[in-house]
Amino acid sequence: MISSSKWIGPAVLAGMCLLPLPLGIYPQHVLIVSLFYVMMAASWNLLAGYTGQVSFGHAAMAGIGAYTSGILAAKAGVNPWVGVAAGTLLAALLGLGLGALCLKMGGIYLSLTTLAFSQILHIIIVNEYEVTRGTMGLQVPGLTAEYSKLTYYYILLAATVLVLFILYRMIHSNLGLSFRAVQNDETAARAVGVRVLHLRVLAFTVASAMAGFAGGLYGHYLLLITPEIPSLDLQFYVLAMTVIGGMGSFVGPIVGAFAINILAEKIRDYGEYHVLVFGLIALVVARFAPEGLTGVWRSLGRRRTP
Amino acid sequence: MLLEGRKISKRFGGVQALSEVDFHVEAGSITALIGPNGAGKTTLFNIVAGAIKPSSGQTVFEGREITGLPADEICRRGIARTFQIVRPFATMTCLENVLVAAVNRHPGRPRAALEAGARDLLAQVGLADLAGQEARHLNVVQKKLLELARALATEPRLLLLDEVLGGLNTQEILQAVEQIRRLRDRAGITILWIEHVMGAIMQAADRVIVLDQGRVLTAATPREVVSDPRVIRAYLGE
Repeated sequence: MISSSKWIGPAVLAGMCLLPLPLGIYPQHVLIVSLFYVMMAASWNLLAGYTGQVSFGHAAMAGIGAYTSGILAAKAGVNPWVGVAAGTLLAALLGLGLGALCLKMGGIYLSLTTLAFSQILHIIIVNEYEVTRGTMGLQVPGLTAEYSKLTYYYILLAATVLVLFILYRMIHSNLGLSFRAVQNDETAARAVGVRVLHLRVLAFTVASAMAGFAGGLYGHYLLLITPEIPSLDLQFYVLAMTVIGGMGSFVGPIVGAFAINILAEKIRDYGEYHVLVFGLIALVVARFAPEGLTGVWRSLGRRRTP
Repeated sequence: MLLEGRKISKRFGGVQALSEVDFHVEAGSITALIGPNGAGKTTLFNIVAGAIKPSSGQTVFEGREITGLPADEICRRGIARTFQIVRPFATMTCLENVLVAAVNRHPGRPRAALEAGARDLLAQVGLADLAGQEARHLNVVQKKLLELARALATEPRLLLLDEVLGGLNTQEILQAVEQIRRLRDRAGITILWIEHVMGAIMQAADRVIVLDQGRVLTAATPREVVSDPRVIRAYLGE
């Protein structure tokens, strides 16, 4: 296991590079959306999984990224790449502010505050029709002159690799040790000198920047930005992916994002009922496999090699 | 005087846990803190360590006031603690448990150097062989030792021990007392120690502070304390 783990990353990456080539337009689209969700779930996991901050404002941060870049491009003709950078920065700043605001809040209070933030943003976007085009959606230019699914796939893949790389380095650094200590026991972590408040604000800022980045790219892929990006539906989707994949593990949200998004496409025919299916899956996982799919996988491995 | 408490009071709702407690700990001493259940020992610990804030009063460490500072800041000032009910980082290995403390003490230092130090500490408490083991797989005694190593990795000048001997057998108690003495004698760490095992206190403590119903009953040498009729009355009831 240990000797092979070195090869898993490059092998998966090579596979991901080749994966879309034989596929048609539709499966390529599903993969691109999955990559967006990987970035969302992996960064949300930094908040909820590693620092115990169950934020409901993560989709809102993706919305900040998407609308910042979209509005700049559509109204002021700003280059979309510059716009994505601006959206990332704004999401980071808002994350810093929201993180600082929620600093001394725990559990449900933090969740409610971020929920309020998310709803306020949603209302503003829907009502500021002149700027955002409300529920009609804002038409925005693409990232490249020529629109090709394959190009977008590689852009999103590169972005996902970047986000995962940063998260991986954080989690496996000295900082990551402190994150895991907080995740285990906040009181004990403080007692050994972990600056819990600093860590939380840092996690909020970094995770929000990543959501803003992902949202910006996603918006320029869709070419039409709607309030569905900063919506609670998308937020709960990200939550379900992380929980089902395995909260607090690095691989969990990645597996969860792909699994749920692909499954969502498969059961789309059932209309609104597919949300029900996810609810049931999330319930079953939370009850019987609280460590998610990756947790089940690990315990199977343990059983095989006692 | 390393640590001083001035008129510390703590009220939880309708319960007066501590009332105007004055106490001090001499640098280089092993000071025991004893008293019947509910006397306020752990509350006093939590106040010194910054886990809770006092309702009134002050704590002074090395001549500087530390009242109300957050626990992580107090740790950086040089006070470390263990918990009455052990709280290791369950899903982290023993080495990582100790490493977290070391990393936060010396944020800039390279990992290799910190890891060597952490392994040394694990060896000191006799857990060298379990370095790679996740803390949740340890037994209670091992968890206590791990907490001790973790506290030491913060390089404290004052170590707060909260009933470290509970659950240990006679042999283990002897070893633990020896270890605590060595910490003071060799590493120069001052120790404030909540304990119920009187034999151990008689052996190791220089001074004993007796708390009863949130007040300091007396502070004296172990010999004086055990023959003090007020202390006997507090323990046995009237």
